[in-house]
Amino acid sequence: MWTIFKKELKTYFLSPIGYIAIGIFMVMYSIFFYLTTISYGSVFMGDLYYATARYGLLLMVPLLTMRMFSEERKNGTEQLLLTSPRSVTSIVLGKFFAATAIIVISLVFSIIYAVIISFFGTVNIPTLLVTMLGFLLVAIASISIGMLASSITENQIISAIITIIVLVAPWFLVDMSTIFSSINLMDKFMSFPRGLISIADTVSLVSITVMCILITIILIKRRKAVK
Amino acid sequence: MIEVKNVTKKYGSTIAVNNISFEVKDGEVVGFLGPNGAGKSTTMNMITGFIEPTVGQIIVNGNDISKRPRKAKKEIGYMPEGVPLYYELTPREFVSYMAELKLVKRRDRKQEVEKVLDEVGLTDVQNKLIRNLSRGYKQRVSLAGALVGNPDVIILDEPTVGLDPKQITEIRSLIKELGKKHTVILSSHILSEVSQICERVIIINKGNIIAIDTPENLEKSTKEKNGISLIVEDPKDNMKNLKEKIKEIDTIEFVKDNEDGTKQYIITYSAEVDLRKKLFEILPKEEIVIFELKKTETTLEDAFIKLIDTSKIDESNKKTKKEEKNKENKEAKKAKNNKKEEKNNVDNI
Repeated sequence: MWTIFKKELKTYFLSPIGYIAIGIFMVMYSIFFYLTTISYGSVFMGDLYYATARYGLLLMVPLLTMRMFSEERKNGTEQLLLTSPRSVTSIVLGKFFAATAIIVISLVFSIIYAVIISFFGTVNIPTLLVTMLGFLLVAIASISIGMLASSITENQIISAIITIIVLVAPWFLVDMSTIFSSINLMDKFMSFPRGLISIADTVSLVSITVMCILITIILIKRRKAVK
Repeated sequence: MIEVKNVTKKYGSTIAVNNISFEVKDGEVVGFLGPNGAGKSTTMNMITGFIEPTVGQIIVNGNDISKRPRKAKKEIGYMPEGVPLYYELTPREFVSYMAELKLVKRRDRKQEVEKVLDEVGLTDVQNKLIRNLSRGYKQRVSLAGALVGNPDVIILDEPTVGLDPKQITEIRSLIKELGKKHTVILSSHILSEVSQICERVIIINKGNIIAIDTPENLEKSTKEKNGISLIVEDPKDNMKNLKEKIKEIDTIEFVKDNEDGTKQYIITYSAEVDLRKKLFEILPKEEIVIFELKKTETTLEDAFIKLIDTSKIDESNKKTKKEEKNKENKEAKKAKNNKKEEKNNVDNI
């Protein structure tokens, strides 16, 4: 897993995708920093992370996940991975954690703004950390969905579009029926900015992630038999 | 050692590989030969564990590839068709990534990468991006990826496609060198290549193995008749009567008139005796001047084409038999229906 993680992370920065993803995060985060924290004149950063998660991740995640398996499949490099002694699980997890690492790097950069605010007031650090944890959980759930989308098609664009649709559709579907709120990742993020770690939300975000990772592994293994 | 036992691969209803079995011994260089779409790559992909056979078993050095993939795959170095590579890496980075993937120990890794880069002649370009390398170098990078980690078995899918003649000879001699220490399986549709490099040839067509033998034996076994190619000056056109003079001759086939007034013939004969000596003695007496006389040799090319043709004929025979059977069945049904109708009519009346 470590081998694949290292190589994937390196590839993110060899191709500009890693920089672009972090750049998108910083731009979104800065815009919302102005629109929420600065314009309200408050030290509360919850809205800032909520808005960034809602709109920033929507662009970042497809960018990070669309090439994961689609590109390997299209270029045939998938053969190199799947004929190596590494297990499918370690390949999938390596790729998953590499994308997660980009999100973690972005979150580390976001601390700069907390430092700036601390010059003008007191930042509630535990709340901030809980918010960041929530952001990370939403991010890994989105990444796992994107990864699953990438494993079912060899076209990167299609993979990105599937990811965006799956992430955005629940926003509107909630108006049709409240059942859809259970698959709306943003609903599960609500309690974190208030400094609360909701067990229900944490468990459901983690289980979405685990489920998507498992399905990805099963799909890739299954394709060996079908292909 | 690789054992392939009764392996079949189906894609839906089409059969890509049909119940094939063969063995490759340690240190052997075996060539897979067949026209496009014969099932060469499918078979190789199954041996490397990239796809799973629908039925059958593949055992690499005593480990079943589906049951103990980690152990089996560790023994295999694979160069897939179409040279898939990570273009954003340099050859050195790529080879060391492949070494890591293949569980080469950390302390040996650097030395191993160095060795392999040197072996395939990539030292000069090791720090350029693979994207910018020429086709020949890309091929070598892919080969280096297969070699790293010193696997027992090396599987090369069309290793010389798209290379210039100089590069081809280089890669071939490299493969020959590899054959001394490793078991090598390579696929190709270039026949001369296979007969040069391989000790044994597996000819495969439409998913079936048609022949497994040494290149020499294949050439011998498909040779039916002895032939002599002859270029002569024959002003009196005495060649026609030659058949009466030499009884052993089966046919005399006129090939063409040359510009310098000579004529080319091909003489075939089934007898075991060598006719060349007799021709030398008799032709001058008939006032025929020999310009050139040589034995025609069957090459692996002929053997290949012949084997594939015979397999086609077999198949079409099967098909026609099937069709006939179908026809018979249909006619029988028709007759039955007619009878029924007649009966109904009778009942109605």
